[in-house]
Amino acid sequence: MTNNEVRTKTRDESLVDNVLASPVDQHLARTRRRLAWGLLWLILLAIVVWLVVRFNCDRPVEYADDQEHFKYGSIGSEPGGSVLDAAGGLLPPRDIFAILPQVCPDKLPGGYASLGLIMEPEHRFPIGVSERFRLGIDQVGLNCSVCHATTLRDNPDSERRIILGAPAHGLDLQKFFRFVLNCTLDERFSADNLIGLMERNGTDLGWFDRILYRYFVIPRTREQTLVLSQRLALIMGDDIPEWGPGRVDTFNPYKGVQFNWPLDRLPLSELIAASDFPSLWNQKPRDGMYLHWDGNNNSVDERNLSASLGAGVTPVTIDHPRLERVRDWIWTLPPPAYPYPIDQAKAEHGKELYASRCAECHADARFKDGVVDAKLIGTVEPIEKIGTDRHRLDSYTFDFAANQYTLYPDSKYRFTHFRKTQGYANQPLDGIWLRAPYLHNGSVPTLRALLDPPEDRPARFYRGNDVYDPKNVGFVSDVAKEGDVSYFLYDTSLPGNGNGGHRYGLELAPEDKDAIVEYMKTF
Amino acid sequence: MTASSAKSKWGRILLVLVILVALGGWLTWWKLFREVPQTLADDSMEEYFKYGSIGTEEQDGIPFWIWLVLPKMFPEYLPSPGGWASLGFAWEQGHDLPVGFSKRTIGFERVGVNCALCHAGTLRKDANGVPAIYLGAPATTADILGYQRFLFRSAADPRFNAANILGEIGQVYDMSLIDRLLYRFVLIPATKKALLKQAEQFAWTNQRPDWGPGRIDPFNPVKARVLKVDVGDTIGNSDMEPIWNLAPRAEKGMALHWDGLNTNLREVVLSSAIGDGTLPKALPVERLVKLEDWLKALPPPRFEERFPIDADLAAAGSEIYQAQCARCHAMDGEKTGQVLTMDDPEWAEAGTDPADDRPANTDAHRAEMWTPEAAEAYNAYAAGYPWKFENFRSTGGYVNVPLDGLWLRAPYLHNGSVPYLSDLLNPPSQRPKVFYRGLDLYDPGRGGFVAEGPDAVSHGWRYDTKVVGNSNQGHLWGTDLAPEQKKALIEYLETL
Repeated sequence: MTNNEVRTKTRDESLVDNVLASPVDQHLARTRRRLAWGLLWLILLAIVVWLVVRFNCDRPVEYADDQEHFKYGSIGSEPGGSVLDAAGGLLPPRDIFAILPQVCPDKLPGGYASLGLIMEPEHRFPIGVSERFRLGIDQVGLNCSVCHATTLRDNPDSERRIILGAPAHGLDLQKFFRFVLNCTLDERFSADNLIGLMERNGTDLGWFDRILYRYFVIPRTREQTLVLSQRLALIMGDDIPEWGPGRVDTFNPYKGVQFNWPLDRLPLSELIAASDFPSLWNQKPRDGMYLHWDGNNNSVDERNLSASLGAGVTPVTIDHPRLERVRDWIWTLPPPAYPYPIDQAKAEHGKELYASRCAECHADARFKDGVVDAKLIGTVEPIEKIGTDRHRLDSYTFDFAANQYTLYPDSKYRFTHFRKTQGYANQPLDGIWLRAPYLHNGSVPTLRALLDPPEDRPARFYRGNDVYDPKNVGFVSDVAKEGDVSYFLYDTSLPGNGNGGHRYGLELAPEDKDAIVEYMKTF
Repeated sequence: MTASSAKSKWGRILLVLVILVALGGWLTWWKLFREVPQTLADDSMEEYFKYGSIGTEEQDGIPFWIWLVLPKMFPEYLPSPGGWASLGFAWEQGHDLPVGFSKRTIGFERVGVNCALCHAGTLRKDANGVPAIYLGAPATTADILGYQRFLFRSAADPRFNAANILGEIGQVYDMSLIDRLLYRFVLIPATKKALLKQAEQFAWTNQRPDWGPGRIDPFNPVKARVLKVDVGDTIGNSDMEPIWNLAPRAEKGMALHWDGLNTNLREVVLSSAIGDGTLPKALPVERLVKLEDWLKALPPPRFEERFPIDADLAAAGSEIYQAQCARCHAMDGEKTGQVLTMDDPEWAEAGTDPADDRPANTDAHRAEMWTPEAAEAYNAYAAGYPWKFENFRSTGGYVNVPLDGLWLRAPYLHNGSVPYLSDLLNPPSQRPKVFYRGLDLYDPGRGGFVAEGPDAVSHGWRYDTKVVGNSNQGHLWGTDLAPEQKKALIEYLETL
C-alpha cells in the first residue's frame, strides 16, 4: 500500500483499499481551495472598503464663482455625523426633496416657487438649496441665500431681477417648513410611492440604492422628521399668528430644535416673535456693532454661526471653510444701488433734515462706503424709548442666552457674545430701499409710512409682492391678488405685529418727509 | 524543537503580554485617573470661587458630555423650559457652565459643584433683565434639590442608556472612537449606577418637605452620606447663608451656621467642602485655606450701589437700631454671634402676638436636626487626616447673626419663612402665610425679593408657612414699633 492509499472498513467489516489523489493533485486541490477563499475574502474586503468609502465620503457640490457659491453652495446643513448617529439637516434627501411637491400635490399645488423660493433657469433646485453627497446618498440643505436673496419687478409685467444679500421679502419660510414636515409625515410618503416617483422623474436608482432608500433612508427621514415636527409643533401650529412671507422667528425654533425645551410650557406670547429677514451685505463696518434686531450679539462671525444653525447645520456637520467663503463675500458685498431716478435737489434737502434727525442713530449714505459717522449706531435703544412691538425682544430671554453658551461645545467656535438686552438696536441703513417692509417685525410697508404717526400707518396691508413702489419706497402693498397669486394680508392688530413706536420725524411737513425718503434712496 | 528555542518562544509571548498589559494599564490610567490641573480664566480668587474645584469631581463628578446633554434628553424632569438655567443657577455671559460648577479632568472631563453653587446670589431690577451676580450672597434662586432630583430621575429613566446618550452627544460633538467606547462601556453605566446609589442616599428627602429655591438641608446629607448617622425624623430645611466678611466673625469667635454648631471657621470651611461631596483624601486644603482668607475680606454688597437711600430716614432708623437691635446683631454687640437656646426666656421677653398661639421662638426644626450624636460623629471623622474636627456641637438654639448685607439676604429667618424685612417687623400672625420664593427681582421699598403677583406665581416656588419646618413664628423684636419707626428702621437696615 502506498502512502496515497487508505484502508477503510466497510459496514460488513471487509477491508477496502481506496486510492487517493496523488500529492500533486492534493496540492492543486489545496491551492484551488486557498484561491477560492482568498478571492472570497478579497471580494468581502472590497465590499467593506466600498461601503466605508461610500458612507464616509463627504462631497459638496462645488461652485467656482462666489455668487454661485452663495446661491447654491453648501455650508454643511445637509445631514452628517456618522451613519449610525446622523446629525443635523432639515430637508429630506435630494431626490426625495425634488419630488416632494408631487408626493403631496394637494399641500403645495404651485410647487416650491409658490412659497417664494426663487427658481433660476437651468437649476433643479431654488436659490438657497445646496447639494452634498454625505452619509452615502445625495442630500440637500439650506444655505444663507434662502433667506437673503430677493426678486424685484419694476411693474407687474416686467422681468424679475434677482438681488443677492437682500432680505427674502417673498419667502414664506414657515409655510415651507410646514409643507416639508407635513408631507414627510403623510401616508403617501411610503417607499413604494417615493421610489416609483423618483424613477419616473429620471432618478436612476440601482438595486443597492433601492434597498438603501427602502430600508434605511426613508424610515430614517420619517423618524427624524417626526422628532423635528414634535419639537416645532407649537411654532408651526395655528396658535400663533402666521409669520407670512419675508419673516422668521429667529430664536424660538432654536429653543425647540437645539435644546429640546418643552415649548408648551412657555408662555404663548414668548413664541410670537416673527421678524423681518435682514440684509446681508456690507458686513465689514458692522463688526463690533450689536447685531440682530435686539442687538444681542456684536460678533459678525458668531452671528453667522448662529444663523447657520437656523439653516440646519450642527456643530458636527457645519462646513467652516465654505461658510467662511460666504462670510468673506458678504464682508464687502456692496448694497445694491437704487435702480430708479432720484430727484437730486429733493434728496439734498432731505440730507439736511436727515442729518439733524436720523443720523445720530442710523449713520448716513456714506455707511455704504464704510464711513460710520453716528454715535449711537449699533447700540441698543431701550424699549421704553423706541416703543416698537416688544414680542421679538421678549422672545429672547436670559435663560436662552445661558443655553447658547453651551453651543459648539469644547471648540474655538463656542458662543460667548450673546446677551439679553432691553431694547432694539439702531440699524445701519445701507440699501434700505430694498429692506421693506420696515421695523423689526415688518409692520410698516414703506419708508414714507414710517414717517407718519403710528395711527396713520396702514393697519392692514399685503406682503409678498415684489413689484416696487418708488413713490413711497417699499414694495407694493395694496394689491391683494395678482392672477392666481394671493398676497399675504398683514394685520397690525395681531399680537407681535404692532406697528407702533419709532416716533421720529412725525411732525415734519409732508414735503419734508418726502425729501428725507428721497435722500434715503441714495443709501 | 530544542529547549532553548521553546524558551525563547515563551519569552517572546511573555514580552508581548507584558507590553500589552502595560499599554492597557497606561491607557486605563490616562483615560480614567490622570489628573490635569484646572485652568481657569485667571488666577484670581473670584475665578476660583466661581469655577474652581473644591474636590467634588472625584466622587460625584459627572462626565462632561453626559452632563451637557442630560437637560436636552429629560426636559420633563426640570422645573420649567430652560435647560440647566431653569434651576436658577447664576450664569455669566460666555461661560459653558453656570457659576458654582467646576470642570476638571480626572482621566475624563468631569463636572462637579463648589461653594458658589449656594453662595453666589443674583438680583435684577426688571423681570426680563440680566441678573447681577453677588459673590458670597445666598443663592436665592438656586434649586439644589431640584438639581439632584433631576439627576436621579434621569438616571432611573430607561432612556438613560449608551445608545441614547451617545446619539445625543453625536448631535453636538464629534467624539473619538476610543472615547465613544469609554463612554459606552464604562462612563455611562458607571454614572447611572453612581447616581442611583446617590438617589438612595438621598431617599430621606422624599419623605420631607421640599427645600425649594434658596434653601437646603445643610447637614442631613452629611449625616446620611458621610457620618452614617440616622437622619431620623429631623428636618433641617434652611436658607442659604451669606459667606462674606468672615474676618470679624472669626476674630470674635462667633458661632457659625444658623444653630452655631461650630465656632472654628477653618473647620466650617473644610467640612462644607466635605458636605458638598468631596472625599477627605481629595480635600484641597491649601486652596480652601486661601479661599477662606479671601472670604474673610470679601465685603458685603452695598444697597446704595443699586438703589437710592433716604439718608435722614436711615439716620432716624439708626437710633432705633442702636436701641432695639444692636445688642444681638451689631458686629460688636454684646450677644452677637452667640446662641440663643430654645428655652431662653429672652424669646418671650421680646413681646407676644396675641393673635398667634405659637411659641415666641423661631421654628425649632433646624436646631433639632443637628443632634449631639451627629456632632460627636463629625468630631471623630477627621481622625487620621492632617486636619482636625473638634469643635462640632449641638446647641439647641439659633445664633444672633450679624446683619451685614442684610438687604440681600431675604427671605428672612433661618428657614426663609418671611419674604420681606417689612414683614419681619410685623407680628407673626400678620406675616404672609403663603408666598413665592425663587425670584431675584428686588423690591427695595420692602427689603426683599418679589414674592407675590403673577410673575412670582408663574416662576416662583410656593412657600407655605403651615408646612412642617416652614413656620414663620417667633422673633418678635421690633414688631411693636410704630409704622414710621419701622420705615426708618428698614431704611437703616438696608444700609448695613
